Amino acid sequence: MMLVFVLAVPLVGAALSWRAVGRLAATLHAVTAALTLVGALAVAVTVNRGEPLAAFDGLLRADALSAWMIALIGIVGALAASEAPRYVAHATPGRFYPLFHLFVFTMLLAVSTDDVGLMWVAVEGTTLASVFLVNFERTRASLEASYKYLLICSVGIAIAFLGTVLVYFAGIQQFGDEVHALRWTTLLRLAPGLAPRVIELAFVFLVVGYGTKAGLAPMHTWLPDAHSEAPAPVSALMSGVLLSVGVYAVLRFKPAVDAAAGPGFARGILLSLGVLSVAVAAAFLWTSPNYKRMLAYSSVEHIGLVCLGLGFGGTLGTSGALLHVANHALAKSTGFLISGRIRAAYGSAEIAAVGGLMRSMPRTGAAFLAAMLALVGLPPFGLFVSEVMIFGAGFAQGFAAVAGVALFLLVIAFAGLLRGVHAILYGPPVREPAEEAFGWRSALPVAAPLALLVLTGLAWPPGLADVLARIVAIVVP
Amino acid sequence: MTTASNLLAFLGLVVTLLIVWRQSWPARLRLFAAQSLLLAALASTVGVLAQRRGLVLVAAVVIVVKGLVIPRVLARIGSGAPVRPIAPGRSSGITLLVAGGLVVAAYVIMLPVTSSVELPTEGAIPLAFAMALIGLALCVTGRDALGHILGFLVFENGIFGLAILATYGLPGIVEAGVFLDVLVIVLIMEAVVVQVRREHDSIDVDRLRELRG
Repeated sequence: MMLVFVLAVPLVGAALSWRAVGRLAATLHAVTAALTLVGALAVAVTVNRGEPLAAFDGLLRADALSAWMIALIGIVGALAASEAPRYVAHATPGRFYPLFHLFVFTMLLAVSTDDVGLMWVAVEGTTLASVFLVNFERTRASLEASYKYLLICSVGIAIAFLGTVLVYFAGIQQFGDEVHALRWTTLLRLAPGLAPRVIELAFVFLVVGYGTKAGLAPMHTWLPDAHSEAPAPVSALMSGVLLSVGVYAVLRFKPAVDAAAGPGFARGILLSLGVLSVAVAAAFLWTSPNYKRMLAYSSVEHIGLVCLGLGFGGTLGTSGALLHVANHALAKSTGFLISGRIRAAYGSAEIAAVGGLMRSMPRTGAAFLAAMLALVGLPPFGLFVSEVMIFGAGFAQGFAAVAGVALFLLVIAFAGLLRGVHAILYGPPVREPAEEAFGWRSALPVAAPLALLVLTGLAWPPGLADVLARIVAIVVP
Repeated sequence: MTTASNLLAFLGLVVTLLIVWRQSWPARLRLFAAQSLLLAALASTVGVLAQRRGLVLVAAVVIVVKGLVIPRVLARIGSGAPVRPIAPGRSSGITLLVAGGLVVAAYVIMLPVTSSVELPTEGAIPLAFAMALIGLALCVTGRDALGHILGFLVFENGIFGLAILATYGLPGIVEAGVFLDVLVIVLIMEAVVVQVRREHDSIDVDRLRELRG
């Protein structure tokens, strides 16, 4: 029931605000976002206190892994929603609010269904709901970005469909089609008996397909464009949670593939794509002239790290990867929200056009610096802890070479990102200090995620370790 | 059923190769519609012979969505564009050769699938996958928005054919999702192309070259 509620809220909100304008639209938007957050947190708490939630004859199902994602989508959704009115006020509202909530709905549906076919439909739905959000400013560049986004992600997701078909095929060949072969719970139960070669082929298609959505190199080419051209709240949602939904889809199939084809196969693919993603990001973080693109490449880097953690596997690697997903969601969405404010103040997303931010907008600059330090993985922020967990797993599981190379690339990426941040904050000032509007409403969406990051970095809240252990028990049988 | 499915999948592949060969947009559009109708025939044949009533319904939806609605939208997108590319086209000989190579590749890649089972339709599975691969190649090498969309749709048709041949139809909710998805993609593409045309006075997406690095 609670699961149906958290899905129904954004859907109903989107439908109601379809024709709403002005103050009514803004109120509906705020209420929908707040209720979604409440529902998401309620689901997370309930699932972690007891058994998985289910509805509609098991079609919808939320276990601890789903709950983790639902909570993240709720939190990042609320952060992004709080920032959205700044963008809508300047332009014609268009369909921003309804599409925003539809986007949130499709992501929530993708992580809370037991049917991998329906999950595929929902992941494709995320593209369709967000393509007009990317093109919200209707400039030439945003048009190009949305075209690339739609085309590349549609092709990618069609490849994932091929993988899903093959998984279904393997299931019904072995066990007849009276079983729900697309139900994840069934799939996992039957996995040891599935034809290993078919499952391997299917997993390749699934990784390429959902990996496109996750922004893994070399399928990441849509990502820097879409993330840099979309309005900041949409970039925050895309980078913070949409990419992780792609990773989630791959992660759902991993235990079945491990059972059918042995653990080496999925691990090899995830490790190579992970290292490649970090390498590509490290290179482009040095050359990118645009700070929103810089943040986008940093997402490629972090998704690569998550894949490395899942590839190294074991309790440490998997829980490190999951924690990293959450940490990255918080840090990156904060980074995008602040970069949107900088862009609004300076009218440009070029690094060269924004110099001396620390002097002209000291509070915004300080918030930006904090978010960036969190992103490069410095303590006391949580990304430091999750990166230590991931690399610790790598060395402990005997992948010292892979972990070493990735660590080296990470240092290059670290330096590249900090170089850009330094130019923005302390470069030659391009304008005089001006009145900086930074009240509590501006501070809260920045301070709240940073505070959470300090918590995951310094002192885990009670229960976090249990939650991670529950999820690991699901994906590492 | 083996004969019928092999024949229909083979015809589908021939139509795909013709799409690669032809340069004129209206002709390629008609070929795509023909391919969709072949797919519908395949679905209903498998549906009748394997006694899956759902597949006959799927065939009807294929005829309406991919045989009628989508070609109509594509024609609307293409109206105003020159019938043939203005720049002299690449020789279709080489692309056809590549397509031939993709057919061989399809047989190799699908080996684990075809060798793991005894299905009456198994001979046609690599043919459908070859359709998908050629569609993907068309999409990736397409020079304008129309080429991209057409390639994507051929790709999608190939996967759909493969799904019918290998699984005799997916659960209804997935099938419905796939149709809705393809339809919405084409409609969004139309909206995007309209805007590209307004901005750039052309649907040549090579002009979309601002975002780099």
